[in-house]
Amino acid sequence: MDFNVLIQNVFNGLAVGGVYAIFALGYTLVFSILGIINFAHGAVFTLGAYFTYAFLGARFGFNGLLANQQLPFGVPFPLATLFGGLAAGVISVLIERVAFRPLRNRGADPLLTLVSSLGVAVAIVNVIQYLVGAEAYSYPSLTISLGIPPSVMLGGERPIVIRTVQIIIFSVSMVVLVLLTYFINYTKVGKALQAVAEDQITSRLLGINTDRLIVVTFFVSGFVGGIAGTLVGLSVSITGPYFGIAFGLKGLAVIVLGGLGSVPGAVLGGLVIGLGEALVPAQYVGYKDAIAFAVLFIVLLVRPRGILGRTLVQKV
Amino acid sequence: MNVLEINNLSVSYGAVQALIGVSLYVQRGEIVALIGANGAGKSTLLRTISRLIKPKSGEIRYMGEDVLAMRADTVVRKGVAHVPEGRRVLARLSVEDNLLLGAYTRSNRPKIRENLERQYRRFPRLRERRTQLAGTLSGGEQQMLAIARALMSEPQLLLLDEPSLGLAPIIVRDIFQIIRELNADGVTMLLVEQNAQLALQNAQRGYVLEAGSVILDGKGSDLVDDARVRKAYLG
Ligand SMILES: Nc1ncnc2c1ncn2[C@@H]1O[C@H](COP(=O)(O)OP(=O)(O)OP(=O)(O)O)[C@@H](O)[C@H]1O
Ligand SMILES: [Mg+2]
Repeated sequence: MDFNVLIQNVFNGLAVGGVYAIFALGYTLVFSILGIINFAHGAVFTLGAYFTYAFLGARFGFNGLLANQQLPFGVPFPLATLFGGLAAGVISVLIERVAFRPLRNRGADPLLTLVSSLGVAVAIVNVIQYLVGAEAYSYPSLTISLGIPPSVMLGGERPIVIRTVQIIIFSVSMVVLVLLTYFINYTKVGKALQAVAEDQITSRLLGINTDRLIVVTFFVSGFVGGIAGTLVGLSVSITGPYFGIAFGLKGLAVIVLGGLGSVPGAVLGGLVIGLGEALVPAQYVGYKDAIAFAVLFIVLLVRPRGILGRTLVQKV
Repeated sequence: MNVLEINNLSVSYGAVQALIGVSLYVQRGEIVALIGANGAGKSTLLRTISRLIKPKSGEIRYMGEDVLAMRADTVVRKGVAHVPEGRRVLARLSVEDNLLLGAYTRSNRPKIRENLERQYRRFPRLRERRTQLAGTLSGGEQQMLAIARALMSEPQLLLLDEPSLGLAPIIVRDIFQIIRELNADGVTMLLVEQNAQLALQNAQRGYVLEAGSVILDGKGSDLVDDARVRKAYLG
């Protein structure tokens, strides 16, 4: 690999890793509060991407109930991304209502929730297909809509070319990461979330409305998931209703690699897998996914709790 | 005036009857002790007051208001704080974060700061360890933290579940010293203890719970001398 290509690939890896990180944080938030994996998270990611498409005022394709439909208005891409994220957050809250809360209130085994969230994921995929068909959608080019150059060049003689989209993806991921970290560690609600994550009974005794905080958690989780979906859609395209499923699996690898329930672990895991994939030599690129899971497997052999997974806190 | 009034309260866990027709009251400014053997239902009573458990029947009134119509967080907001059995500090958060979360239902920041300062004055150990993770504190320090955290919500009524549990006698003495001071400052308390002697000596009145029912009640000093209490709980 020559140096320029290496730098490009590293940048590529950072961009992809950043998206992995924010997407995986969606899993992590829910996991740390409820102790379960929300399998519908990948579907929320998909929905976020479609919502953004709709908010741009773009027209849907030839299949499905919404064929040839479009919103009577469109907003610029940054706003559409934000709205797409908010809408995904709302959907995520609805999923909590439908698939999580009823089971929790009846004191069901958390494993059952796993299955019900998987069911919701399948249903969402089908609804998407019913509404807008199975075809791929691409966002209108940012070069045209926002007048952004398709790539930037760094350096003089043999410049390093970086796609602008990658810079955007990386920057947006980092902004989301910083905001999320601030929210969790430095706000009152964030501290309360940590309390609920550690001990729901004690949290209730302190006057924390745990049900409301669970709703907040699902909203934030869906919001970052939806943003991640938009960013990946921007980088390639929305490949169809199954868009988020493979990505969802990758997200699972990320959180397991970083350490289940660990926020810095999700970030580190995302960057490690993103970079790892980007550095796979071109002739082996077809094995990219296998390599991500191979890395995961080896790390787990050495550190069964993941890179930053905490050893269980001793109860007094 | 009764701060707390419980009438005919029954609670069960599935088929297990934990409380059967319990009635008691706590007046403003009192320390009321609730004693009884393992499994008598003491913690169940406190958890029911804090709305962690739904009772089968009965009535709970706090300052005349129907507690069973409130959510758990509303009970705290109205002025009832609960120091749970086994302390349950938030081990992965700092001492100061634990204290600040105690004031979760309060929103007046200057007052919260003032209250934090008051707790640090009362428990200088906690000030020294304010940035330390609560899980790394000793048992006695954790108990102090649990009490201080409860006080951060500025309660009118403090529910204490076995504050002496698992602590060395000298630490127990400190904790009860603090309980007396708090009471002198006007905090009303319902104190659950297995250490019957200590509890009754420090309480104005007491109730004895056995297998989910109140079998005796009276002045603390009378109960300490009661033959049945002596035989069953004081050895
Ligand atoms: N979550 C639960 N599920 C089923 N039974 C329970 C549960 N919690 C308590 N019990 C039962 O209810 C009864 C009362 O328990 P409780 O914890 O109130 O007793 P206690 O007086 O606080 O005892 P200790 O002094 O040991 O703390 C016991 O028989 C106990 O086994
Ligand atoms: Mg108990």
